[in-house]
Amino acid sequence: MATVEALVAGPITADTVIDQAAPSKRWGRLGLLVPAGLLLIIGFIVPLVIMLWYAFTDPSVGFGNFAWYLGDAVQQRILLRTFTTAVNVTVICLLLGYPYAYAMVAAGPKLRAVLTLLVLVPFWTSLMVRTFAWVILLQDHGPIQSLLATVGLGQIPLIRTNLGVVIGMSQVLLPFFVLPLYAVMTNIDRRLILASSSLGAGPITSFFRIWLPLSLPGVGAGSLIVFISSLGFYVTPALLGSPGNSLISQQIFTQVNGLLQWGRAGTMGVVLIVITLAILAILALVIGRSTSTIKGVR
Amino acid sequence: MKIAKSTWSVRVGAIATVAAGSLFLAACTTGGGGPAKPVDLGSGAAVSGSVKANALTGQTLTFVSYGGIYQDGQVAAAISPFGAASGAKILQDGPTDNAKLKAQVTSGNVTWDVVDTTNVFAAQQCGKLFMPLDTSIVDTSKIPAGLLTDKCSVPAMSYGMIVMYNTKKYGANPPTRWADFYDTKKFPGKRGIEGGTGDLDPGVFEGALLADGVSADAMYPIDEKRAMKKMASIRKDIVFWSTGAQSQQLLESGQVDMALVWSGRAYSAVKNGAAYAPMWDQWMPEADALAVPIGAKNPKASMAMINYYLGSEQQAKLTELTSYSPVNTDSKPKLDELAQSFVTTTPERVKDAFKLDNAWWAENHDEMVTAYTNWLAG
Repeated sequence: MATVEALVAGPITADTVIDQAAPSKRWGRLGLLVPAGLLLIIGFIVPLVIMLWYAFTDPSVGFGNFAWYLGDAVQQRILLRTFTTAVNVTVICLLLGYPYAYAMVAAGPKLRAVLTLLVLVPFWTSLMVRTFAWVILLQDHGPIQSLLATVGLGQIPLIRTNLGVVIGMSQVLLPFFVLPLYAVMTNIDRRLILASSSLGAGPITSFFRIWLPLSLPGVGAGSLIVFISSLGFYVTPALLGSPGNSLISQQIFTQVNGLLQWGRAGTMGVVLIVITLAILAILALVIGRSTSTIKGVR
Repeated sequence: MKIAKSTWSVRVGAIATVAAGSLFLAACTTGGGGPAKPVDLGSGAAVSGSVKANALTGQTLTFVSYGGIYQDGQVAAAISPFGAASGAKILQDGPTDNAKLKAQVTSGNVTWDVVDTTNVFAAQQCGKLFMPLDTSIVDTSKIPAGLLTDKCSVPAMSYGMIVMYNTKKYGANPPTRWADFYDTKKFPGKRGIEGGTGDLDPGVFEGALLADGVSADAMYPIDEKRAMKKMASIRKDIVFWSTGAQSQQLLESGQVDMALVWSGRAYSAVKNGAAYAPMWDQWMPEADALAVPIGAKNPKASMAMINYYLGSEQQAKLTELTSYSPVNTDSKPKLDELAQSFVTTTPERVKDAFKLDNAWWAENHDEMVTAYTNWLAG
């Protein structure tokens, strides 16, 4: 998540504060990281190592599991489908979440409270409950289908389709996009907009040259959280989708529980992590470059 | 019996615990209660449904099954009474999770003593995850013919994979054979078929092949490509279900016109008012199995529990509580007419059943599941 921090962090970061402190104080403050660090080691690093170990040793030592995965056309289709689904969900969250976060910033205190609540209530509701609600909404004789029929659009299959999965996941993940973006937008100095209009810029120019660039770190943070969460989503695609459009998490489940092939499951986990990290690295480079140009302009 | 097997939260939990933590935790905690205490189960041949009084005082046994009304019924009918008679303290766990079981056996820290699982998995893992049962402790003489499929397990109950059809739609001219299920010209409508990732019960492919003209005695080895080709011919009309609850919901909401479902779910749907009737011709018999994991703390005590579970009284009560069929030929459950019509172990039902080759499935299960999962995903 270093990228996310880098994207969100303002000019004065926690690091710079620590750097200025005396060495002994610095160690004391680092000591505060120990509980979280231990949790990370036990809950994340150790299982990760075990997963790696399985990938290379079960059922026999070597690259057999990787050869299987890379040679299996179905698995590659599923991997591609997983990433396109994640991209689609991220784009939908961006299209819905950006205007929403903007409205939250632009609204008066009362309306803002209402808008914030509307984001937080689904955020606090159990994932299972929301997913089952979508099952009911999307099903063949459900309310959305009857609405479509009433307006004359006929039957558009939603439940057990990738479209249904994308709709459900977008709703589930939307708060993760809106909240970081809102946090960034509230910190934008609104006087800059006034300054730009006093210099002759219309609202559209002000938006594209001032507001949009300054809100990009929030867009980056929200997109990354949504994209990465989408890659590993299990419950929502399993309930809203069908085996015909399964994602990698369902395939991993098959290997772990159905076939007891933990080496293959580990391999799929490794592949997912490696590709995700690679994408993150590329994004960090691209976004890092674009934000540095913004700073240059500033 | 898979009521809770596919509960999604459980699946998520299973991935998290198994893939991440269970081995690590197992390695860090010390093993069970040390060497097994000697057990005196008395002399003479074992009689199903009985146990020597107080033979297991001071012992603790953990029974694991799929939860829901099924496990409640098992515990009320057999497991709790066994604890009372033998003096053993009974613990329960669940739902059965094959990955957790493997983690326990491979780490040598086995906390499950008797496990309810599918008969295919029990046969497949006989000698790997499960130990052979000692027939001097477990009396298998009353088990209906054909249900005892391997040395490591006994059936826990019996049920079937059956075709249900909509009586409003096809009532005047109901389907009578497998070919009708796959004939969407003569019987237009949607079809429900099991199709979760990682799951395939015996019977799904067999049904498709019977419909395609394969004779029952030429069924094995299964030509899975031909079966899937037959299924592909009506794929646009298939609604795949992956949990028992889903299949029942498909019937109760009328979303499919015919469905291949577990008989317990079919019964529940009809009881709840769904207008469907079973087609019994060449139905596919299935069973859960009870087995003892390798490394269980006290195998003799586990097997004594299994022997008690198989008694005719216990089985009758289990059937009354769960609607699954008894696996003791002497059992006389008291049922209403509808529940009785779904009992799969009566002579007339056994006569119509397709002869599934469980041993072949144990050998080829993983290959079939992989082929089916790929076909579904592709």
